[in-house]
Amino acid sequence: MEEQKIKQYFLKIIKEEEDVSIGVAAIRTLLEIIRQSKSETVQELELILKDAINIMKNLNIPVAGITSGCELFLRFITLTTLDASLKEVRARMLERGQMFLKKLNESRNKIVRIASDFILDGSSILTHSRSRVVLQTLIEASKQQRQFHVFVTISAPDDSGKHMHKDLEAAGIPCTIILDSAIGYIMEQVNFIMVGAESVVESGGIVNKVGSYTMAVCAKEMKKPFYVLTESFKFTRLFPLNQTDLPAEYKYNSEKRKNIDLQKAHPLVDYTPPSYITLLFTDLGILTPSAISDELIKLYL
Amino acid sequence: MTHKEDLSDINKLISDIKQKKLITSYEIALKTEEIVEALISKRNWKHADELMDLIKLCIKFCTECLPQEATATNIMRHILKVIREEFEVVSKKKTEIQSLHQLVTANPNDVLDYTTPLKDLKMSLLDHLSEYKVELETSTDNIATQAAEHIHTNEIILTVGKSNLVEKFLKNAAKKRSINVIVLEQAPLYQGHEMAARLAKANIQTTIIPDSAVFAMMSRVNKVIIGTHTVLANGGLRAASGVHSIALAAKRYSVPVMVLSHMYKFSPIYSASHKQEAFNVMASPANVLPYSSGPILNKVQVLNPVFDYVPPELVTLFISHQGGNAPSYVYRLLSELYHQDDYYL
Repeated sequence: MEEQKIKQYFLKIIKEEEDVSIGVAAIRTLLEIIRQSKSETVQELELILKDAINIMKNLNIPVAGITSGCELFLRFITLTTLDASLKEVRARMLERGQMFLKKLNESRNKIVRIASDFILDGSSILTHSRSRVVLQTLIEASKQQRQFHVFVTISAPDDSGKHMHKDLEAAGIPCTIILDSAIGYIMEQVNFIMVGAESVVESGGIVNKVGSYTMAVCAKEMKKPFYVLTESFKFTRLFPLNQTDLPAEYKYNSEKRKNIDLQKAHPLVDYTPPSYITLLFTDLGILTPSAISDELIKLYL
Repeated sequence: MTHKEDLSDINKLISDIKQKKLITSYEIALKTEEIVEALISKRNWKHADELMDLIKLCIKFCTECLPQEATATNIMRHILKVIREEFEVVSKKKTEIQSLHQLVTANPNDVLDYTTPLKDLKMSLLDHLSEYKVELETSTDNIATQAAEHIHTNEIILTVGKSNLVEKFLKNAAKKRSINVIVLEQAPLYQGHEMAARLAKANIQTTIIPDSAVFAMMSRVNKVIIGTHTVLANGGLRAASGVHSIALAAKRYSVPVMVLSHMYKFSPIYSASHKQEAFNVMASPANVLPYSSGPILNKVQVLNPVFDYVPPELVTLFISHQGGNAPSYVYRLLSELYHQDDYYL
């Protein structure tokens, strides 16, 4: 596939299927590339895939999801590669790729099932920005006739909290939109915090929409549980030591990276260290932050 | 066979626990193991799947009747894992536990079919279970022998209420070192009195103090050593009422809190799992305010909760027969004890 086609295919998924997370969209694009590729060797195929990943990373979309999803997929390719002709290998890759994709699509439902049990009658929940899995969990809990109230931050600069607020209202869940600067103000009123993640790093911490760290520090100080809902394909091999240590491609979109002095640009994501996270709800079960590195080591050993 | 007949043993177990015929978790553990062993050897099951369904039914029944009682269900849950393992050994197939690695490498043909009848399964299961029984029986001794690793000479140890395991542990330590034990009396049942008497009989320097004095005494304590009712999946405890305040006092003075626990007390349940009211039990208020107290009885509400939730941050170390583990490692122990599919039934 040529560059233009890859871009089109990828952007089309993101635009038309709102429910699909960026990581899955990237993996689907890579699978499509394998299907259409005319490469002769596995190595060539890998090169083509790596080029495609670079193309997707430069499309002004948050890179965190793409990186972790594609990394996992490349690992998948390496582990599938067998001593057979490329034709056979490709057929097997496609078959197993479909299965892999199916599992990824099921993962959100698994999280929703285990996380919705933690929403008790009469609780107040604070969430940040818009996360598909948090939204579905809240909807599921409300379907089970549980009464609760949700506070959503507006979440500058893209005001994605407004979108979340609209979705919650449409589902008939009582909710209030608050200013990002009101996190401290609202904290005493809530029982716990539930956020999504763009990626989960090796330390067990998360990379998420800027403001998550502020919320986590606040929650720790006021002793409120900080829950993270995330699919396991978002686990990334990255070990940031602090905020500046996060790769620039995570923090700024590609346009800014090219044109603006990054010292003056606003970061899009921040890093929340594991000590601020109570539990992570994933399709692999409910994990403590220390369990994350275990999973990653098992995969990349 | 009707369900009622199916569960008559379990019914008996539940009523024995309710009527306090089985008091310690050790008794409950042994009894449960016996029941399941009998179920495997006598019941006419055709394949592993049927057997597992039967045990799952028992677990569900137990959780419904005794939501706070984790020991019996944990034993059964572990036996489910034993069945899965033995099935894999006998059928010479292997599955991987749910992990990121499995997500990437899984093959559609790898799914095990537990409905395949296997001739040798019953025998190997019973073999495995008798091993497990020995493990249960020796668990207390195995924990107690670690005492000398954790307690040093002339240390002051604080404990609370009565626990057979802690008693053995301290006595074992006292064989090699001279120690000083402070026992909290644990109102309103005052089980600490009995504990103190038993320790004193074994020639251990023992002091008994009221529960309210825990903060005053903590500054001179070297270690807090306690038992627990259940270890929750996040590393927190469901322990006797009053333990939370002890743990907080210990945190204040940076005193390590060691929790002695058998493996069967590790439970894959979170405190916030749905049905939070199932976390605690209220005991008879008569121990707090006797019925003979007169007119005041009509004017006040008397509560006597049995358990405390202790968050994992306040626990330093769990000591099981496998050695010491930090609370953050509990998830790992759980994945070794139980199969992931059996966590929530």
